[in-house]
Amino acid sequence: MKTEISALVDGELDGREAAGPLNAIKEEGELRDRWRSYHLIGDAMRDTRMVTPGFAVRVAAKLAQEPTVMAPARRVPLPQRPRWQYLSAAASVAAVALVGWIAFAPQEAAPPVAIAPKQSEIVQVAPPDKADDYLYAHQGYSPRNSLQGVAPYVRMVSGEAGAGKR
Amino acid sequence: MIRALGLAMLACCGLAQAQAGTSADAMSLLRKVYQATERLSYTGTFVYQQGDRTETSRITRVAGNDGGIERVEVLDGMPREFIRTRETVRCYLPDSQTVKVERRSDERTFPAMLPEHIAGLAGSYTITRGEKVRIAGFDCEAVVLTPKDELRYGYKLWADVKTGMLLKARTFNRKGKTVEQFSFTQLAIGGVPRDRVKTKYVTQNWRIDDAAVQPANLQRAGWTMGSELPGFRKIVEVTRNLGEARPVGQMVYSDGMAAVSVFIEPLAGRAEKLRPGPSSLGSFQIYTRQVANHIVTVVGEAPAASVQRIADAVEYKLPPQ
Repeated sequence: MKTEISALVDGELDGREAAGPLNAIKEEGELRDRWRSYHLIGDAMRDTRMVTPGFAVRVAAKLAQEPTVMAPARRVPLPQRPRWQYLSAAASVAAVALVGWIAFAPQEAAPPVAIAPKQSEIVQVAPPDKADDYLYAHQGYSPRNSLQGVAPYVRMVSGEAGAGKR
Repeated sequence: MIRALGLAMLACCGLAQAQAGTSADAMSLLRKVYQATERLSYTGTFVYQQGDRTETSRITRVAGNDGGIERVEVLDGMPREFIRTRETVRCYLPDSQTVKVERRSDERTFPAMLPEHIAGLAGSYTITRGEKVRIAGFDCEAVVLTPKDELRYGYKLWADVKTGMLLKARTFNRKGKTVEQFSFTQLAIGGVPRDRVKTKYVTQNWRIDDAAVQPANLQRAGWTMGSELPGFRKIVEVTRNLGEARPVGQMVYSDGMAAVSVFIEPLAGRAEKLRPGPSSLGSFQIYTRQVANHIVTVVGEAPAASVQRIADAVEYKLPPQ
């Protein structure tokens, strides 16, 4: 059955062949989990943005908690909506898509853990005379050399302004 | 086959990513960049940006079993050239007719970035994959090192998909603002003749400033750190000359990406007036203070607060006789 589910996910089964595996995954259980995993793997291989594990379960749970709306059916037909309302609906969908995309984008700024004192409270002094000597002596041990070779050395002698440059 | 591969991918990347943030995939890309730096020969032009300063430099590397030779020549502003081999670094300053020489006679004075150290980076940074972009004609993939606290900067590195060659490197602060950036504008990988890494200067009559680096034990001399900065460990401890011949002690602390040097020199016999407090020079943060008739100067590629914390932790205790 595992092979058949895999084939189903890959779209290799026709309607008749698909009936068996489709029935098997109707119930929650090992086979349905497997069906989800295969989809996740497929997404990963196609470089589709992955949803977090258990996404479907959480959505199902949220839906189950939603109150059922008991409203009488409308008798009067809905007035014709102006065109811009459709446009704004489309824009909302686009906005939701954008928010969704941002939410899944890699986050560059993690929440800070150790809090450093505020920069604005610190009064700066002029750098030591011949500060470049210190920078040069430091550069030899910078791990950046292993990453970039000799390139980081260009930071040392700071152009015409020399050691006086802030 | 595809399914088995997929399962393996899911196990390695997907789950690790969901749990720790750092992905094995991003780590392997980072490792590839370090290996490419060591393995490749190349020649190219890159731009260094820091604040409102922009400088163009030409860089050439010839790889070899001896560790290779690299040469960088700054094309803007004051002329200067750096040539680095496994054992020495030479800095040529034609305006003052000076060559600064730093020899590495001992592995204790030359800590290389080893693969096991790369794994250690995940303790201080969350390492993730970034987007794919094209830089200087190369299709690049990115890796982002997001700091786990405010003691260090973040880094974004873009590397050639094929070779792993680093095309662009950006350092950013906790607000996401660029601290400095290196970016190639032109690059050719492979086939570099060895005469391209020789200096263009004739230095017969130039002054030679030899750093005379020697391994040392400053702790035995009484210099200790009251507390160490989280994630940073001491990677080297030497005595050396600064400039023409100013003997100093130097201790270097690093988290694998960022490094901070502590310089200790006697106050006696110095003409320069001591200016205690924080200062900065380019992307470097500096903190100066006086400890037991000595000047302690801390210089780092790290936020000002981290540099100051290291400076404040320096203590002198009279060693037992």
